[in-house]
Amino acid sequence: MAPPRRPPLAHALARHLGLVLVSVLLAVSVIGYCALYLATQARLPGMFELTSSLNNTMPLALAALAQTMVVLTRGLDLSIGGIIDLSNALAALYLGTTAASMALASALILLAGAVLGLVNGALVAYGRLQPILVTLATLAIFQGLAIRVLPQPGGAVPEAYTALLVNTGAPYALVYVLALMLFWTVLRRSQVGIALLAIGDDEAAAAANGIDPVATKLVAYTLSGLIAAAAGLFLAAQATAGDATTGNGYTLTSIVAVVLGGVSLFGGRGSGIGAILGAFVTTMIVNILFFAHIDPLYQSFYEGAFLVIAVVLAEGLGRLVRRRRARA
Amino acid sequence: MSGGGKRRRVLPGLSPTGRRVLYAYAATVLLFLLGGLVRPGFIQATNVLTILTVAMFVGLVAAGQSFVILIGGIDLSVPWVLNAAAILLTTSSGGENARAAAALALTLGMGALVGVANGIGVAVLGVPAVVMTLAMNGIMEGLTLGLSGGMTCSACASYAPPLVQGLAHGSLLGVPAPLWLWLAVIGLVSFLLQATVFGRATYAIGTNLRASELAGLRVRATVIALYGLSGVTAALAGIMLVGFGGQASLGMGEPYLFQSIAAVVIGGASILGGRGHYLGAVAGAICLVTLISVLLAMNMAEYGRSIIYGVIILVLLLLYGREARES
Repeated sequence: MAPPRRPPLAHALARHLGLVLVSVLLAVSVIGYCALYLATQARLPGMFELTSSLNNTMPLALAALAQTMVVLTRGLDLSIGGIIDLSNALAALYLGTTAASMALASALILLAGAVLGLVNGALVAYGRLQPILVTLATLAIFQGLAIRVLPQPGGAVPEAYTALLVNTGAPYALVYVLALMLFWTVLRRSQVGIALLAIGDDEAAAAANGIDPVATKLVAYTLSGLIAAAAGLFLAAQATAGDATTGNGYTLTSIVAVVLGGVSLFGGRGSGIGAILGAFVTTMIVNILFFAHIDPLYQSFYEGAFLVIAVVLAEGLGRLVRRRRARA
Repeated sequence: MSGGGKRRRVLPGLSPTGRRVLYAYAATVLLFLLGGLVRPGFIQATNVLTILTVAMFVGLVAAGQSFVILIGGIDLSVPWVLNAAAILLTTSSGGENARAAAALALTLGMGALVGVANGIGVAVLGVPAVVMTLAMNGIMEGLTLGLSGGMTCSACASYAPPLVQGLAHGSLLGVPAPLWLWLAVIGLVSFLLQATVFGRATYAIGTNLRASELAGLRVRATVIALYGLSGVTAALAGIMLVGFGGQASLGMGEPYLFQSIAAVVIGGASILGGRGHYLGAVAGAICLVTLISVLLAMNMAEYGRSIIYGVIILVLLLLYGREARES
């Protein structure tokens, strides 16, 4: 390998530009949130705010990671909301009350999510269909199944389950966030992770280099389904009940988090950690709007405007860095 | 393509796109027959005209969606542009005929403006279409909710002007007025896409953006205009919908996003751009609405409708939406 022509730090910065940008974005939004909190509440946010922010973001962080798996292969998974719905509905009915039944039901629900993801993957890979269309159709199917399972919001989630996944007493969710980031880091360095990025970057070239595009897509969509199902479990634990429509909003917000996290919608570029941080930025923006006393009716307006501005700025910065690199 | 040579062609002399459009119409006729089997009154003229009228709302949105899908884009801002248009029409006209013309101009202008903003975001600022139009949907949602105070404003209870309601409910020569409007839109869109420089440029951009630029086409202006047109058709659908229903409501645009995309794709257009025809999207819209009507006629529960709806779209995709295998 040729030695880097530029100082290693600048090189690393340019290589992980998306991750750096979302980190800066998160830092700025956290500082903005703290400042607003201080101004309105006359104290800094404490453990309670940290815990609730973490707990509230977990489902979106999972949905964003699920979306990342597919987006990296140059796809888009619109069915994530449907898988969350179904997983959530199943959890509300079948978790049971004993530790063993909860563990078994959770495992089976995650497995169901993986199978649904696999169906998406098979339709995309073997059916040679466009991902956005396949998942548009399966979204309707999964939503229908979820309503079949749980026609009205209800069911029950045992207290112990809620205490484990969404502990309101202490920021245990930090452990889950770190575990997710560790999962991504390991995946990224595994053959699967390399294959994901490779086929997203250039499928023909990847195939020529011995990467199986069909198998890789199957894995990507299966992982996406599995992780989305986990988001459904966290939502069930949080609400202590089920709702077959609770996941619908996550299809679009997961795309927002992924984009803020610097994952390219054109595939092959991005990091799961970035997407998770993107999910936290989204939560922080909602918090900021709340403490800035913005009329909640205008919330989507600010989120939409923020998304465009963030993407335009990131694009501009990226162009600047690439131009400097080309000159170097 | 050499791969297709082995198969015996049904209807030689028809382009692959033409064949796909024909399939979509065949599927629609089949669905109508199926509906007739389920419920005898299903294929009576009045019921057919009702279904076609309902299909028009999807069809109008699908016209705009066709424009942007032909260049490999997508318009996710449809739901709240439509919703904003419906509310803007009723609030700005106050339900009075005297103010109807100005309100119509204002509403269509709003649609065009939002669409052009989408186009600028995509063509000039380089934001991916999915992100730009998704964000715009949020922006329009926030503005609509905020400015109307969550539909609590004093003018929000206004009805659509009788003139607009008359347009939505009237009929001419036994055919509902909305269908005449749809026919006009079909003629206009087909003319624009098939017989003008603008239309040829649209297909060229969808086939190969870089080559179109190098060939000296005004790519940016065309893309901006196409998104602008999509905003206009979404606004027009909102106007017709509020004319049909009388009053606007929050969330009335939601079903039209996925249905418009599905209609375009069922009609044989490629989501990657460069291939498709509005006549196909028209068939797709009728096909979808007929399907929903058949399922309703069968007294299918909501979940069943949703599942079958998804399965049918998948089947149609597998029948003719597949991409060529890479050699």
